[in-house]
Amino acid sequence: MSFDHIMSVTIGGLTVGMIYALIALGYTMVYGVLKFINFAHGEVFTVGGYVAAFSLLAMGIDASTPWLKVAGAIALALVAAVTVPMVLGFLIERIAYRPLRGRSRIIPLLSAIGVSIVLQQLIIIIFGPKPVTIPTLALSSASVSFLGVNVRVLALVIIAVSAALMIGLTYLVKSTRIGKAMRATSQDMEAAEMMGIDTNRTIAFTFLVGSALAGIGGLLVVMYYGSLKYDAGFLYGLKAFTAAVLGGIGNIPGAVVGAIVLGMTETYGVSVDLGFLAWFVVAGLVLGLYVQMVRVPNRRLAHIAADRRTPEYERSIMNVYRLTPYHGIKTLLAERTDALLSVSAVDAVRLMAGNIFLAVLAAVMFINSSARIDTRWQPVIAFVVLMVILMFRPSGILGEAVTEKV
Amino acid sequence: MEPVLELQDVSMSFGGLKAVDSLSFTVRENEIVSIIGPNGSGKTTTFNLISGLYEPHSGDILLKGESVAGLRPDLVHNKGISRTFQSLRLFTNMSVLENVLVGMHSVTSAGPFASMLRLPSVRREEKAMYDKAQEILGMFPGRFSGPRQHQPAFSLSYANRRRLEIARALASDPVLLLLDEPVAGMNPAESHEVMEQIRMLREKGYTILMIEHDMHVVGGVSDRVIAMDHGVKIAEGTYDEVANDPQVVEAYLGKRAADATA
Amino acid sequence: MATRMETSSGRGTATAHRGAAVRRIASAMPAWVWWLAGIAIAAGFPLLNVIGVVETAWLRVGVVSLIFALLALGLNIVMGETGLLNLGYIAFFAFGAYTTALLSSPKFEIHWPFLAVIVASTLVAMVAGFLISLPTLRLRGDYLAIVTLAFGEIVRLTIINLVPLTNGPNGITGIYPPRLFADAKPALEGIEAWFIIDKPLEYYYLVLVCVVVLAVLLTNLKNSRIGRAWNALREDELAAISSGITAVRAKMLSVVLSAGIAGFAGSLFAYYSNVISPESFLFMQSVIVVCMVVLGGMGSIPGVMLGAIALQALPQLIREAAGAARSDFEVYRMLIYGVLIVVMVIVRPEGLLPDKIFRREAHEVDPRELEMTRQSLFDLEEGEKDLEV
Repeated sequence: MSFDHIMSVTIGGLTVGMIYALIALGYTMVYGVLKFINFAHGEVFTVGGYVAAFSLLAMGIDASTPWLKVAGAIALALVAAVTVPMVLGFLIERIAYRPLRGRSRIIPLLSAIGVSIVLQQLIIIIFGPKPVTIPTLALSSASVSFLGVNVRVLALVIIAVSAALMIGLTYLVKSTRIGKAMRATSQDMEAAEMMGIDTNRTIAFTFLVGSALAGIGGLLVVMYYGSLKYDAGFLYGLKAFTAAVLGGIGNIPGAVVGAIVLGMTETYGVSVDLGFLAWFVVAGLVLGLYVQMVRVPNRRLAHIAADRRTPEYERSIMNVYRLTPYHGIKTLLAERTDALLSVSAVDAVRLMAGNIFLAVLAAVMFINSSARIDTRWQPVIAFVVLMVILMFRPSGILGEAVTEKV
Repeated sequence: MEPVLELQDVSMSFGGLKAVDSLSFTVRENEIVSIIGPNGSGKTTTFNLISGLYEPHSGDILLKGESVAGLRPDLVHNKGISRTFQSLRLFTNMSVLENVLVGMHSVTSAGPFASMLRLPSVRREEKAMYDKAQEILGMFPGRFSGPRQHQPAFSLSYANRRRLEIARALASDPVLLLLDEPVAGMNPAESHEVMEQIRMLREKGYTILMIEHDMHVVGGVSDRVIAMDHGVKIAEGTYDEVANDPQVVEAYLGKRAADATA
Repeated sequence: MATRMETSSGRGTATAHRGAAVRRIASAMPAWVWWLAGIAIAAGFPLLNVIGVVETAWLRVGVVSLIFALLALGLNIVMGETGLLNLGYIAFFAFGAYTTALLSSPKFEIHWPFLAVIVASTLVAMVAGFLISLPTLRLRGDYLAIVTLAFGEIVRLTIINLVPLTNGPNGITGIYPPRLFADAKPALEGIEAWFIIDKPLEYYYLVLVCVVVLAVLLTNLKNSRIGRAWNALREDELAAISSGITAVRAKMLSVVLSAGIAGFAGSLFAYYSNVISPESFLFMQSVIVVCMVVLGGMGSIPGVMLGAIALQALPQLIREAAGAARSDFEVYRMLIYGVLIVVMVIVRPEGLLPDKIFRREAHEVDPRELEMTRQSLFDLEEGEKDLEV
């Protein structure tokens, strides 16, 4: 496991993560404002990629085209890759989502799935079922030496462009008038309306921004990989959604963090030995033990009423967490005497089960330390991450920014 | 008389806000106790704690001497506590009759395979459930008769929905009935009728804990009244005692008004 | 919720009641007639083939449609009755199909009898349903949908990658036709032919019987305390658990049962098609089944069967009639399905053949209230907010 290898894997993971982040922002913004998964967002990304690819092809550039012309062509492709998805996002919201506003989560999700299928079939009908491929450009094959490792220039461009866009978006949401309207709408649509905010316009704007970012993502993917298939949006969309949930849906910095974590996980997962990956599981186990031994019991203790707060009582709660399985299971099996103890016991046993799982996983990985996960399983990694995060911490790493009212 | 429900120093907070703070009280058998207090004083949180929707951060809740604090809501219901909701939570697309039948879920036992095959035991149980539902709906004379039982719950008038919620809660023969603002939004004639029905329930032997803002109803049916403010019990006693308690007057009307009456 | 009050009170005059009663009897009568008519048409359809009016290809379409009717009935349990959206439903179908393929094909030289295989397939799918429901059922609706989608994809990718067991993308071929007894005794050769199902006509009636029996069983279940518990959870989960319904157990039952039905259907599918490969278990297939349930009417047993047949048989018939190329046709078919979902949820969310409740009130209640009901179908989360202080 050389430093060079780790370095190039890291940059690869970061690049993929940044692309996921661009798409994830669209999911997270729409979710933040409407509490709804815009399932068709992945297809908007594909449309962006296709439009970019076909405008590059239409301008007839190839490896021999002078760089100024290439730059111009890319600029035009960028305009197309932003405009078309924006129009599309706007229309989708208007036609398929707005009439369903106010209904609960599942009905608009069904509509979104319908839209997603329609878009995918339209891409096939308009552009054909074969993947679109662009000629290799000097830019896309160029590489530079970065910390002693050869890195594709395009990877660095993707990282830089995405980072800049995310900073811009954060500014937009935090500090501008329309950003304030977005936040107000996400908090309470009715109240925002009463305060004179045009929520329809705000929501449309959210879709415009999200779609534009997805379109840029499409352009970058086409440039980076050189081709795109009509159904790419399904997988990219799901991964981006995973990233958004991972970071805490509705939370803009969360989407970026989640996307980078997911990109890294995916890339590391198939590029390094299990023995190396196992250390990450060990880190997870340490964190899990900290949660079980320190964080959760202390939070429980903070709730004890002053008159019950005797050292023995506190110790019995602590023991339930720290001496699980013995105390935890003993408390579970004992007759109910105290609500807090019983609740803590369930909690402790659940945490312990998670920690034991991590320990076993790490052990298995250390035993097979020279094996690697086959790249065929790469898509599965993202799905497993999605399932695990939704089951154990649906609010994500940074928490949902827009929580339900307390 | 036997205590049916006992709250011992129950506390619950949301973030930093103490919604219920060391609350203790007792409800005895066949008693009607009302909880009053201004909005946000922790009344509904108390109900949610008793019915298992929240788990208390400390303290204990005993039903006939057995702790039910922190139990899942369905288990609490099985132990014998039924409730209604302030914001009407009927199964709106199901019929009136079905709503009551759902209330009997925990006291019936037909399994999935028997139900699929509609075995004789299932038919008998369904028949018994139907008869029981007729008896309960019959407690509200003229409200749920005949074809109305087959109408979806959303087609009912507001007052009838409140009645149907009570009927659903009664379906499992609860040890303790929790009524969250049973006459909210009703006109005086309707609330008078509900008041009569609550009295009738006591005559049938039910024990009732209720939250109510309508002082006419509170005074009309309660054996005891508990007043809450900011999560704390500020007074307990008969209606007259509580209504004239300076702390209660202050909680409702502010300090100036309390001083003026004193 | 507050906006829904103060409607339709005081309209209950005696005449209205009588009128409503007449209408109810009138609408109760045709229900039976419709059921019988449906069964008669379905049972009579192959006769058209026997007398030579219809080609055998159409009979094959009929078999697949009926298998999808089974799937739609199964998905309806979770989606229509319990209100949980499952976007990976086809994975359970795959579990059933692959179990059958492994237990009755040259792949491992195993040849179990038909009944044992179909029971095993159902059980494997049920176990899969149980395992997936353990950790996921506490999730709220939209997250559950995405997790089930991820589950479906994991299953499909695992099938593709687990080559030693599944032959990967090539699939498993040469599945033996169903036969009722394990060993063929040479002396019984002639008689045994009666116990082997290998012609489309035989498959058709086998699956038809399964569909009818299942529809009856599920109708019974729907009108039992279990069915009411599911509906209660769909309508208002909080009120349901406060009425003594153990949400996780009831939901788990619905997921496991629907998984079992999918496994059963998958087994029939594997037997019928002889060959199975991962292509039959794409996400799109899950969406198609969802589409059948939405089109027919969530929660309506005759509705979802009609939806399945409409979406499976009609396009195939059109394709056969038009002689269109398969790949082209698939694109337009999916396009139409997508449009259909969007239009249905916006214009007629209760489906073509709505559940009895909708039909009942469609005549008796003013349109404003109907609209409110539509909106409250699936309103699981709506009320959670007013629980808070």
